[in-house]
Amino acid sequence: MNAVLVAGAWCALLLAAQVLRARAYGRKPLFAPAAGSPAAGARYAFTGAMLPWAKESVRMNPASYAAGIAYHLGIAAAFARVLVPSRLLSALALLGAAAGCALLVKRIAKPHLRGLSNADDFASNLLATAFAATAAVPAAERILPWACAALLVYIPLGKIRHCVFFFLSRYHLGAFFGRRGTFPPAA
Amino acid sequence: MPETIDIRKGLEVFRARLGEADAAHLSACVHCGLCAESCHYYRMDPHLENVPARKLDLVAQVFRRHFTAMGKLGLQGHALDEGMAKAWLDAVYGRCSLCGRCSLNCTVGINLPRAFKAARAALTAMGMVPADLQATVDNSLRHGNNMAITREDWLETVDWLQDELRAETGDPLAEMPMDRQGAKILFTVNPREPKFFPLSLQASAKVFWAAKEDWTLASDGWDLTNYGLFNCNDKEAGAITRNLVDAMARLGCETLVIGECGHGFASARWEGPEWLQGTFPFQVRSFLEVMDEYLEEGRIQVDPCRHTLPVTLHDPCNLVRHGGLAEPQRRILDRTTSFFQEMTPNRAENFCCGGGGGQLAMGAYKERRMRSGGMKAKQIKDSGAKVVVAPCHNCIDQLSEINKEYKLNVQIKTVAEMVADALVTEPPTGEP
Ligand code: SF4
Ligand code: SF4
Ligand code: SF4
Repeated sequence: MNAVLVAGAWCALLLAAQVLRARAYGRKPLFAPAAGSPAAGARYAFTGAMLPWAKESVRMNPASYAAGIAYHLGIAAAFARVLVPSRLLSALALLGAAAGCALLVKRIAKPHLRGLSNADDFASNLLATAFAATAAVPAAERILPWACAALLVYIPLGKIRHCVFFFLSRYHLGAFFGRRGTFPPAA
Repeated sequence: MPETIDIRKGLEVFRARLGEADAAHLSACVHCGLCAESCHYYRMDPHLENVPARKLDLVAQVFRRHFTAMGKLGLQGHALDEGMAKAWLDAVYGRCSLCGRCSLNCTVGINLPRAFKAARAALTAMGMVPADLQATVDNSLRHGNNMAITREDWLETVDWLQDELRAETGDPLAEMPMDRQGAKILFTVNPREPKFFPLSLQASAKVFWAAKEDWTLASDGWDLTNYGLFNCNDKEAGAITRNLVDAMARLGCETLVIGECGHGFASARWEGPEWLQGTFPFQVRSFLEVMDEYLEEGRIQVDPCRHTLPVTLHDPCNLVRHGGLAEPQRRILDRTTSFFQEMTPNRAENFCCGGGGGQLAMGAYKERRMRSGGMKAKQIKDSGAKVVVAPCHNCIDQLSEINKEYKLNVQIKTVAEMVADALVTEPPTGEP
């Protein structure tokens, strides 16, 4: 468990440093009068814009969307499972591990996705999927903290840093389109 | 292409454009690839190079190498060198119309065009901007309009169009006022109108005439276009915007009205105040908003029976997705024709025609532009329309080329042309 705590501290510190570094670039003052509300745009970006029917990319790839949700849910459950033994959490983690495998297969099978991928994409998937799988299998109880620690150490070094940048990025996109009156769309 | 590329200068300009939002966007991509099909380049030519995330990755690699701790240690990213600069050129100038459709569809919510614009700005600073695009900017800087139309030609064209307007309306007092001091509206136009589409300018004038508007054109500062939006040189873009601001100050007008042009509207309404670092002391409106208001207030009347062919509407990205104006043109068409039908998808989800981002001014990428326009051709075909209305002269140029290339056999019109053709100066037939 100590390993998890140390890795967690490392992860939190590095992610915080990265976000602070990004925030240090600052926000430029804007002079064009707003046509809509940046706050309403940001709210929409985190709500309506994320519904499966709101985006063509999801409408065209519902299986990927479902796998993505299951994967994230499974990883969250695996983290909870490190702290609390629970069958439900193990089941969710199993679902997440399966989704992770499916997404890995998709990454390898689809030419444009394979071309887009780098070592980080595979490392991130393998670490997160292995962690979820470990949380799903009772026999792996002893290595669960180590799988967790490995993932936590890796998070700030690769693309899983999107666990924090997702929020900053989506907020800014929402505020941008909100200010211009594009978000939320007219009913 | 310059003999030596000043990488340091490029990085300086790139860095100067970065804000918190950009740093977040450049750190957030998960390579899920779900943005691929949102891009008309990829849809019509499904290659890795056309995937928005691939284009973003090239920019993000440089960001990571030069501006993050891991990159500075040499552990991540790719340095901006000659090879990378060429890859940027191909990606952000050659395969992107800055339409922003990918950002709406991004899983994370990354504003990809912002990153592409930062890369374009760096390339421009390194002297790698496509020469024909830069020539268009230079024309605006030197001649006050992007087609180097002389003052005499502009004044003569307006004079001639005023005669035509008088003949068309039968009103010998119908005017296309030039430099009228204190007019309520300064109306600005795309140089393509006096040069190639004078009837479209005449149509706008006819709408003003019917509404009895207090308006004027300007002898200087009349061009609404701003290709500085596309070479991403903010100084040059600001200088071009300054032409409009000066004309407003000289004539003492209340409202700057931007004729039908997507990027012209985005430049004056949204980017201009940022380029010039100050809020304008006047309002900037699209001609669409003005016409919509005329109809709403009953200042003009239209007879929808004049248009008998099925009509569809193209949503210019800079006007709709990036400009926030989606509804006025729809309300206008709903009143102007009984045969209006949407294309699918539409509004903020619409596909770019392929001519955006300055593509029409970059000859080297014409083949890609025409291919990517196939997506729009498909949308038009599927709509079954015989008339495509496009409130953007840039788009109209591209749509005209698509019309030929994909044998669509449609008429292409501006919204003002639709309104002008349907105008009634007496009660519409059939009404008491
Ligand atoms: S901005 Fe438009 S053209 Fe550029 S990558 Fe995105 S979808 Fe494609
Ligand atoms: S959808 Fe967004 S996060 Fe996914 S690959 Fe495209 S740009 Fe990256
Ligand atoms: S040319 Fe028209 S459709 Fe294409 S990006 Fe510009 S405004 Fe959009």
